[in-house]
Amino acid sequence: MSHLTLGRRLKIRSMIHMAAEPIPYFWPMRTFIHHNPLHGLEHLEFETAVRQGEQLFHGRGFLSRAEYQRYDAEGRVCEASLKDAIARFLAAPRPNPPALDLPGMDLPALLLHLLKKQPEPVTKPLLLSTADDLARRLHDPSAPIDHATDTDGLAASLHAEFPPERPLYEAIDSLFGTQIGDTIDELMIKSLLDFFDEGQSTWQMPHREKGLFWAWSAIAKRNVRFFLRGVHICKIIRKDATPEGTIDHILTELGLAEEHWPAYITRELTRLHGWAGFIRWRSSSKNYHWAKEFPADLIDLLAIRLVVGLALIREQARRHKVPGSLPALHAFIDEHTAECYLRHAYHSGTVLPAYAHAVDDALAHRHPKHINRILPDYLAAERQREASAQADALRRLCHAAGQEPALRALDAAALGALRQLLADFEHAEGMMWLRAMEAVYRRELIGQIRLQAPHKKPRRPFAQALFCIDVRSEPIRRQLETVGEYQTFGIAGFFGVPISYIGLGKGSESHLCPVVVTPKNLVLEVPTGAMGIESDFYSTAGHVLHELKSSVLSPYFTVEAVGLLFGFDMIGKTIAPRAYHQWRNRIEPKHPSTRLLIDKLTREDADSIVRALQRVMIVRAIQQDFGIERESVTDAVVKELRETAMGLRSGQTEFARHFALSRVAEEEFIARLQTDYQINRSYVSLQMERLGRIGFSVEEQAFYVEKALQSIGLTDNFSRFILLVGHLSQSENNPYESALDCGACGGGQGLASARVLAQMGNKPEVRRKLREQGIDIPDDSWFLPAIHNTTSDGLSLHELDLLPNSHLVYLERLRNGLRAASRLNAAERLPKLEPHTPRNLGTIKALKRIERNASDWTQVRPEWGLARNAAVIVGGRHLSEGINLDGRSFLQSYDYRVDPGGRLLESILTGPLIVGQWINMEHYFSAVDNERFGSGSKAYHNVAGRFGVITGNLSDLRTGLPAQSVLRDGRPYHDPIRLLGIIEAPIGFVGKVVGGLPKIKSLVVNGWVTVVIADPETGHLHHFDHGTWHDLGLAPYLANLPAPAATEELSA
Amino acid sequence: MNGFLLLLAGVFLPLFPFSMIFSAVFAKLTHPVARVLLLLLWPQAGVLLLAHTGLPLNAEFFVGWAVATFLLYALRLLSVRDLFQWSGMLMISATSLTWLLASTTTERLLLQQFVFWLTVAPVFLVLLATAFQTRFGAAYAGLHTGLARRLPKLSALLVFSVFAGMALPIFPAFFSLLGLMVQSPVQWGVAVLLGWLLWTWAGTRLLNGFVFGPPTPITAEDLCRGKALAIGLSLIAIVVLNLIWTGVKP
Repeated sequence: MSHLTLGRRLKIRSMIHMAAEPIPYFWPMRTFIHHNPLHGLEHLEFETAVRQGEQLFHGRGFLSRAEYQRYDAEGRVCEASLKDAIARFLAAPRPNPPALDLPGMDLPALLLHLLKKQPEPVTKPLLLSTADDLARRLHDPSAPIDHATDTDGLAASLHAEFPPERPLYEAIDSLFGTQIGDTIDELMIKSLLDFFDEGQSTWQMPHREKGLFWAWSAIAKRNVRFFLRGVHICKIIRKDATPEGTIDHILTELGLAEEHWPAYITRELTRLHGWAGFIRWRSSSKNYHWAKEFPADLIDLLAIRLVVGLALIREQARRHKVPGSLPALHAFIDEHTAECYLRHAYHSGTVLPAYAHAVDDALAHRHPKHINRILPDYLAAERQREASAQADALRRLCHAAGQEPALRALDAAALGALRQLLADFEHAEGMMWLRAMEAVYRRELIGQIRLQAPHKKPRRPFAQALFCIDVRSEPIRRQLETVGEYQTFGIAGFFGVPISYIGLGKGSESHLCPVVVTPKNLVLEVPTGAMGIESDFYSTAGHVLHELKSSVLSPYFTVEAVGLLFGFDMIGKTIAPRAYHQWRNRIEPKHPSTRLLIDKLTREDADSIVRALQRVMIVRAIQQDFGIERESVTDAVVKELRETAMGLRSGQTEFARHFALSRVAEEEFIARLQTDYQINRSYVSLQMERLGRIGFSVEEQAFYVEKALQSIGLTDNFSRFILLVGHLSQSENNPYESALDCGACGGGQGLASARVLAQMGNKPEVRRKLREQGIDIPDDSWFLPAIHNTTSDGLSLHELDLLPNSHLVYLERLRNGLRAASRLNAAERLPKLEPHTPRNLGTIKALKRIERNASDWTQVRPEWGLARNAAVIVGGRHLSEGINLDGRSFLQSYDYRVDPGGRLLESILTGPLIVGQWINMEHYFSAVDNERFGSGSKAYHNVAGRFGVITGNLSDLRTGLPAQSVLRDGRPYHDPIRLLGIIEAPIGFVGKVVGGLPKIKSLVVNGWVTVVIADPETGHLHHFDHGTWHDLGLAPYLANLPAPAATEELSA
Repeated sequence: MNGFLLLLAGVFLPLFPFSMIFSAVFAKLTHPVARVLLLLLWPQAGVLLLAHTGLPLNAEFFVGWAVATFLLYALRLLSVRDLFQWSGMLMISATSLTWLLASTTTERLLLQQFVFWLTVAPVFLVLLATAFQTRFGAAYAGLHTGLARRLPKLSALLVFSVFAGMALPIFPAFFSLLGLMVQSPVQWGVAVLLGWLLWTWAGTRLLNGFVFGPPTPITAEDLCRGKALAIGLSLIAIVVLNLIWTGVKP
């Protein structure tokens, strides 16, 4: 029972939900979703959000200056942009106008020198020393410095160090070196691993169905280790049975004023933001099987954290007399200011090394006499060190910049102003570097794109291929276009058809669409029966071995019995992964021939299916309960039983009469049919509802095909083959495999979506409706699903058994073309993966080397994935055709001329652009701070509970990308810059569309994406920067063309 | 007279509380050479005094006192974070075992070699502590962690020197302790084993405070190649010499 009213409980719940807003969702690794780690802060301007994110997640939002300087040395930073940023910085209003106080100093030159030549920050934190100290040290390094100690100042700085929103245990840890925070995290992770396990553990945590807090409490109450250690969790849990009541009780007990609760809760939850993000996503995913089975939310998580935290604080308070509440902490600071100052310096690792031993001794004695004896000397030394270090740094900077005489001429006030100016500048420099890097990339890209009127292909292409917008499609599209008459398009990998998909043999639905979309229609994969589903010896043996591995006792004897088999497997995978993989493929059962159920069922069809299923269940029930075989009962008997169970009739059944069942036995059997076999009205309506979700009506199918074709501007000149190329990634021993799959398919593989659209597009009724809409697809055009394996570069065709006979003669030519593109792409990609590859290796060898990555279980980097993504180009292929974009651009085909209302552009901006921005931000932050926003090195990763990855045996869930995906030799391989969107459409048109989309407008205005509009009607480029549009003039490609030709094209 | 000599030996082969004299002298000296000489010579003086009283030592009380000192300082090592102090206490803990060996042998040379091999690790640690002090102002565990990545040469030498201090196999102290345990009565052997365990625990904690953990941002330079090579080769030479000595010893 809870002592709280319902209103109070709801208030606490909503407070926690609001406090958790900045924490991004974390999806299970099976469907890894690239997301912006600062998604919850996207309503803020980019730089502001980065600063807040740094504080919340204790990460770094920009690269270090030394890293940016390396980019600068490689010519990838625009100096003009840096100078412009410096000028803007100096012109910005600030409390100490430097121009008034810093005579003789050339600030623009000094700041530019600081950026480009000084690898380390110049300004140091000054806690004790003053501008006078700085001036004295600068003019005379041996001059004495005032030794006076301001105890009030120390107390104020300590109070500021521990604001109310900072968890109390963090303050205790900082002052007493107790490590309560680490202990809480460790205990939490252990409990969370137990609770959220999705079948990895052999022994499951009990009572999980009752929820996280309940299940944890039940175990914690009986935890002998807690009891022996003096951690009395029971006493706290007993106060209130609900998590909300527990939270209320503990925060009150800690003495925290209620206005600080939200900030305090945010700090608590962000300590393990991976787990919090996962629980936040899980509790909002109503269809997630494990969430339905074992419910948990952030309220449970917070309640457990607070209970463990309070119990540990009380234990420390009892044993070591540490403060047990916030008021007690602040009173302790006031009473023992000197001790607290030294304690904080010692335990936070900032103590002066030369005094470390003496401070340790003084604190160990814990007697004011010892502490007061050492404090004056310590403070004097600290003050001298601060002033000397700062003076030296300023002197070095100004000397190197040729401005040392001007520095020496400054008085103390001016020095203080200069130092403050430099500190502000160093705080803001990350954004300057970022803009300067982006300027170079933007200039290069817009210098290449061909803003011209799209030219019609003179003849019908041999094949048209629709690839995903993914950056990995760009090189293979380019290669395919070079090998023959292929025309390619870019479209989001779910081909615009959001589906919930149940694959053959899978028990749950997966959403194949961007995560911002919730699909309404269900698609089932069913076997055709043309090829039996194999259940051969190999599969059975594999199943048995896995069962043995997961049993508790069997590993003790199976190691000797079958360990050798695993040894062969290991040797094969290690020594010759490619050959071994091919051999395994031969002996493993083949995927059976299947079709997708994409047509909507009528009510009659659905009703008929339900009845058929119920009859099958009744026959099975009769056999199991009475041992009566099917031949002994007629259809009429089964029908009568069904109707009785459904309540459509009453009275004795023929079945009971024939087999002489008593009235009681008959009633029991009917009740069992209703409960155990779910033959009842409510379950039927549920089944009908589910069946109603299957498939699409013909109108819907025509709508999706039309929308897909129109969105890419493919409305005529259809070729014989229209390839719908989804993509997947194949790798071994890689928990991040799904991160390399299709982001537009919700982190899944793209083949099912390609098959769905192909089946729709090939349907005569659909084509008839499209014709009515003005899209005339010739009868000899065939939509053919295909898949692009981005690891091995393989392009394979699917559903060839449906291909019309008229197309068979062209099939080999098609395959040849695809194979050639694969080889060329492999040859282009290999040097990026293996920089020491010989240049003249040849395309066939390159493909073999690339293919090995897909089956090599020791390969930590099977492919670079989406690393180095930097731009999204929304427009016709003519913009980038024949240009090597280096696999850095998402290419979304779009023709504004077929979209007068802007609806298609809206779909593109709210779908692909947002997915691209999430991918880009995930890469940006993983590259900038791989330990906090990324997931560190793969070498230390372990799969946790089958849903996530942790480092070592206990850590926060690793949410970002591993080091191997974004770094090379410890340096960013992915250039951390914001996504550049290039949209080919008239500026007024784009402005109108963007203006109607608040989310997109917010992303653009707040600088989460940078945008250039390529206006084909004027030939001008427009860049949105500093809150306004800037006309960049005529596009470079047009500017370099002979004038008449440009005019002709523009007027076309 | 013997009693007085034994008490005097207790200053040089430190027995608590006489060990505080060594600690005070060790802390007063600041020059590394002086500290190294103190580590090498101080206990040798104790051996001479002990031998002067007659070997084997027939004073069970002193042996018990020495083993208690050994355990006390082994325990103390767990909480000490200053590398100089750690080296000094390791030396006290280690050389106090000489009393135990003295009760089982008549050979003064054996005692001198025993003391020498046990003081090797503290000597190396003092040299490395000086290198840390030069760079950071103090050689204090926990102030600058994760040095393995930033100062790999210095970190590697520290790891092996601490291993030597922990008396891990192939290092001289390992064979010295092994020999001592074989020769000692069971109850003292168990005590030595317990102290040995404490040494390894303390050594691991010490390494955690320097070499492992999240790297602290530092600008210090690693040891130069020449110095690293000199210290490393010296350590190897000591190990090889000890192996030879262990092999030819009757």
